[in-house]
Amino acid sequence: MTSVQNRIEAIIGEFADLDSREKLELLVDFANGLPPLSAEYEARKAAEDRRVHECQTAVFLWPDVDSGRARLVAEVAPEAPTVKGFVAILAEAINGHPAAEAGDIPDDLLERMGLADVLGMLRSRGLRAIVGHVKRGIAAKAAATA
Amino acid sequence: MPEYANPDVLVSTEWVAGHLQDPKVRIVESNEDRALYTQGHIPGAVEIDWMVDLQDQNWRDYIDRAAFEKLCIERGISNDSTVVFYGDKNNWWACYAFWVFKLYGHGDCRIMDGGRKRWDLDGRGWSSDRVNTARGHYTATEQDGSIRALRDEVLKHQKAGKQLLDVRSPEEYRGERTHMPDYPNEGAVRGGHIPGAVNVPWPMNCREDGTFKSAKELEKLYIRELRMKRRSPTIAYCRIGERSSLTWFVLKYLLGFGNVKNYDGSWLEWGNCVRVPIAKGGDPGGSAGPSATTTSG
Repeated sequence: MTSVQNRIEAIIGEFADLDSREKLELLVDFANGLPPLSAEYEARKAAEDRRVHECQTAVFLWPDVDSGRARLVAEVAPEAPTVKGFVAILAEAINGHPAAEAGDIPDDLLERMGLADVLGMLRSRGLRAIVGHVKRGIAAKAAATA
Repeated sequence: MPEYANPDVLVSTEWVAGHLQDPKVRIVESNEDRALYTQGHIPGAVEIDWMVDLQDQNWRDYIDRAAFEKLCIERGISNDSTVVFYGDKNNWWACYAFWVFKLYGHGDCRIMDGGRKRWDLDGRGWSSDRVNTARGHYTATEQDGSIRALRDEVLKHQKAGKQLLDVRSPEEYRGERTHMPDYPNEGAVRGGHIPGAVNVPWPMNCREDGTFKSAKELEKLYIRELRMKRRSPTIAYCRIGERSSLTWFVLKYLLGFGNVKNYDGSWLEWGNCVRVPIAKGGDPGGSAGPSATTTSG
């Protein structure tokens, strides 16, 4: 298994035996752990079009590659802890790992964490779009810097 | 200064704060983002989620009467409970839950004016404690058809030229998009509106702090400017019936419309239906597509 796959399996394992309430609590823990933007990214937020338009709340993503390693920097509105927690999980899964492995994030990650049933169909659809957005973003960056 | 038709149906955050220990009162949070409740809710409030709790997970309908009774019992709600709904986004989902409770005949339902935003602005605290309630005792009625419109009824209503209200964004109404700006597309094939429907986007009911506009402002909007009549049968719709439940609440409880229904099938059903008329553009009549002329009987 690649290092990203290992991380993903570990995160899925953390969610595995939790009931719905505990899953949401863990998701909120992840949301609370997403660091605020640095001054550099605050400035970039104003200058660049980084808002994810598929998302219902304000989500800004910078999928990036630094010396061959993936790096996801993000800001999500505080009124959307579900999205914020999920984005934090994606960052934890790929940050610092080889950029080429970002593609190993499974498209059905939400289902495998058991969150799809907790959140319901319509919400899950929006979150799945973020997985694709991050994977495409990292791949594009990797191709541009290769 | 005109008053709301049913002023008691709205309660302030102060009222809620004063009734947290009242065993007759059950506070219910309903949100777009479920994790908000987990992060922090009004002390003692229970959560009812519109998608996971109120909708049947197999067929496109609400949970049945028995499942609704079970939900209420588990959340500590009894037939004589005063149920106060609140939530994020101008109480949009709170109004949806309110509507489903009325669908099953619950007597005393209220909305906490301004929802989560007003509670926050008033500096009242949140709790992340788990809430365990004593079980309720509940017997629901059959669904109340007087507040819910199904497709065939909407079609008849439309053909008869009766009051129809589209509460989606102007872009959705004109048919330029089939979902809200910034929201994922949930799969309506065609864009536009039901011919004859006027467009009053749902946020026009609310102020910046999430509370409802005054009776005077709402009357000006619906009755003086749009010339809607309180006594005429009215159907409101949006995309999946959530935004329109807020407008339904405004028309029925704040303005006193006598006969107003929510079409919960809304655009997601209408925009995919075979042989129903659709209008495009900013005009209620619009430039109806070919389906309008081939629909008969």
